[in-house]
Amino acid sequence: MAANQETKERIVLDVAYQPQVRTIRDTRRLMQDVLIALLPALCVAVWQFGAKVLVTVAASVSSAVFFEWAYRKLLKKSNTIGDLSACLTGLLLALTLPPTAPWWLPVVGTLFAIVVVKQLYGGIGKNFLNPALAGRAFLLASYALIMGNFSVPTGLKGAVDGVTMATPLSYLYGENPLPAYFTPQALFIGTVPGAIGEISAAAILLGLVYLLVRKVISWRISVSFVGTAALLTLIFGRGGDHVNFMLYNVLSGGLLFGAVFMATDYATSPVTLNGQLLYGAGCGALTVLIRYFGGFPEGVTYAILIMNLCTWAIDKGFHRHQFGVTKEDIAAAKAAKKAAKEAAK
Amino acid sequence: MTHTFKGGVHPNYMKAPEIPMTVMTPPPQVVIPLIQHIGAPNQPLVKKGDYVTMGQKVGANPAPVSAPVHSSVSGTVVAVEPRPHPLGDMIMSVVIENDYKDTPCTDLPPLTEEQLKDSDAILERIREAGVVGMGGAMFPTAFKIRGGIGKVDKLVINGAECEPYLNGDHLTMLNYPEQLLKGIELVRIASCVDKAYYGIEKNKQDAIDLLNSLHPEKYGIEIVPEEVKYPQGAEKMQVKAVTGREVKPGGIPSGVGANVVSTRTCYAIYQACYEGKPVIERIVTVAGSALAAPVNVLTRVGTPFSYIAEQCGGFVKTPRKIVLGGPMMGICATSFDAPNIKGTSGVLFFTEEEDRHVDEPTCIRCGKCITVCPMNLEPVFMYMYYSKGDFENMEKYHITDCFECGSCAFNCPARMPLTHAFKTAKLMFQAKAMKEKAKAEAEAAAKEAKK
Repeated sequence: MAANQETKERIVLDVAYQPQVRTIRDTRRLMQDVLIALLPALCVAVWQFGAKVLVTVAASVSSAVFFEWAYRKLLKKSNTIGDLSACLTGLLLALTLPPTAPWWLPVVGTLFAIVVVKQLYGGIGKNFLNPALAGRAFLLASYALIMGNFSVPTGLKGAVDGVTMATPLSYLYGENPLPAYFTPQALFIGTVPGAIGEISAAAILLGLVYLLVRKVISWRISVSFVGTAALLTLIFGRGGDHVNFMLYNVLSGGLLFGAVFMATDYATSPVTLNGQLLYGAGCGALTVLIRYFGGFPEGVTYAILIMNLCTWAIDKGFHRHQFGVTKEDIAAAKAAKKAAKEAAK
Repeated sequence: MTHTFKGGVHPNYMKAPEIPMTVMTPPPQVVIPLIQHIGAPNQPLVKKGDYVTMGQKVGANPAPVSAPVHSSVSGTVVAVEPRPHPLGDMIMSVVIENDYKDTPCTDLPPLTEEQLKDSDAILERIREAGVVGMGGAMFPTAFKIRGGIGKVDKLVINGAECEPYLNGDHLTMLNYPEQLLKGIELVRIASCVDKAYYGIEKNKQDAIDLLNSLHPEKYGIEIVPEEVKYPQGAEKMQVKAVTGREVKPGGIPSGVGANVVSTRTCYAIYQACYEGKPVIERIVTVAGSALAAPVNVLTRVGTPFSYIAEQCGGFVKTPRKIVLGGPMMGICATSFDAPNIKGTSGVLFFTEEEDRHVDEPTCIRCGKCITVCPMNLEPVFMYMYYSKGDFENMEKYHITDCFECGSCAFNCPARMPLTHAFKTAKLMFQAKAMKEKAKAEAEAAAKEAKK
């Protein structure tokens, strides 16, 4: 008793706020899960483009982490590289670059992504543009030639002469007919030219399944994004076979990669459930619009960036009714408002 | 069809109903706070030096929204003075030196056969025995039931026990099934309804089977198995799961013709009516990483936490918090000297192990708070407007509809202090309303004076 009394005196009780327990999953674990989900795409890239893509990835990840650390160190802010979000931005950016990219290209990209897009607005969660995509858009505008230089994948060596070649998407919207080796199966597995991470639909879908199982993202944005793009290309298809045209549109370019990994970025996508559906649909529609009428063959980057800018308005518009408010209540409130308006007249 | 609600979380339940209930030796001194309910505070009925028997009324208030308190031991009153209260602050309490004789009090005889069929007699007894909502809310039960007569057609008994760690309701079902059913029958008779629905989460399947084997229909009771999800035991979620009705914003369950009474309250009502025993003891789950093992123990009301810890094997690690109730909605006690009261369903001694605190929480806008909110609110925006002090938008985002279940903050990967903020915001709204009221009154008075 006496000993207990003594210890009791010395204990300072913490009167922390509720809840007293928290889920084990924190920001770091979420980011870690996305990094894991990107591994299949990275593996396919190494298989198709060789180990040199790892240099691009390493340069991108390490420079992103360095810029995050250095910026916050210089401004005497807390060190946030532990949450792995900079790491993820670096990897995402690298995966959107062509395999021929020189090592300094991602360094320039992450400088813009981390410092200008993310940290100048206050860091994680406060940026309104997806940092990796904004970095890519910056590189696309500044180094258009390098960014359009796609090397021949291992799967097509022998079938194609030269070192670089055009992507399926540029054929789809270009003058020349699509070469026979760009089969839907090839696009699905990933034996096609393209940006490092975007070539294999199978690898990206594997990542999506992982993210859904781990409940990192919900299906809403990805499904409505791809669904809208598929629907529009099916209805307004070109050429004879609309289904085939739709399939090529979904499988080629960065559409799947964007829908799974880019559009679902937490900070820059809506949090309201119906808002997420609209946002995804907007991304899909804009992608198709840009592909049909834009100057670039690819539209995913700008489609998502434009929808990023609409996120705030979408969230405001989809403010939901709280528990206990029935449809009749909403109708009654509307009628009352209308009546008040008329009475004012 | 599974009975449940939208949203909610699945915390690590940490339950240990397999540990049998033990009875704790009463402490040498009990502290009976005069406030153990929501409503008018009790006035002391005894003074220093008085001898009291076990179950004797030591504090009461004639106001309708109140519940008397009783001595949980027999012995001598050594002080009537402010003492640390488990919910914070110093509250006037009756301190009784235990003579370990447990001399029973005969003020409340068991009800007669006729009285057990009479709503008024039962309600009178419920009030006299000091029965309050023993799930933790501590609202006077007699007042709640009386207010629902005529309005309530669905009586819901809450057996969800959705909070992690707690086993008290589960063990009550297993140890006193017949008494519990009789207690529910009494609540049903008192509420003047034909049927009571007993919602129990499916993780208590053994209790559901046991109760079903005792023919609950004989007592006018239907057992409703529910999905295991927090906060299934919240009043509004319970009503939704069992009846499908949604309580209106700002309303109470009786507004949609339902009343919710907790398992332990029904058992207390059984004891009050059949045994003439007021609320002087309750089963408490004592757990947390500061202790070697969790304990389910029947304690007297008024047992100080330091004594409880000692009786439960003492600390193996230094505790950082004393959490009262479950870890989701429970709040922290500020003192080891504070006693357990009628609504204390659990005493959890937590160390740093349970703590997942971060120094600089930063919202990543993942929206995981929105998907789990059982009230369909949008915590991410509520918190944003709270930090800005924007009352207009806080109201627009229905911050006052939050009932502080903690699901959003539990699920928050960024560890934002969401529930804490909403609790504070609600207090701010209360203060603002009071200020406005005072201002209006002052203006009216000034006008009057001018005339």
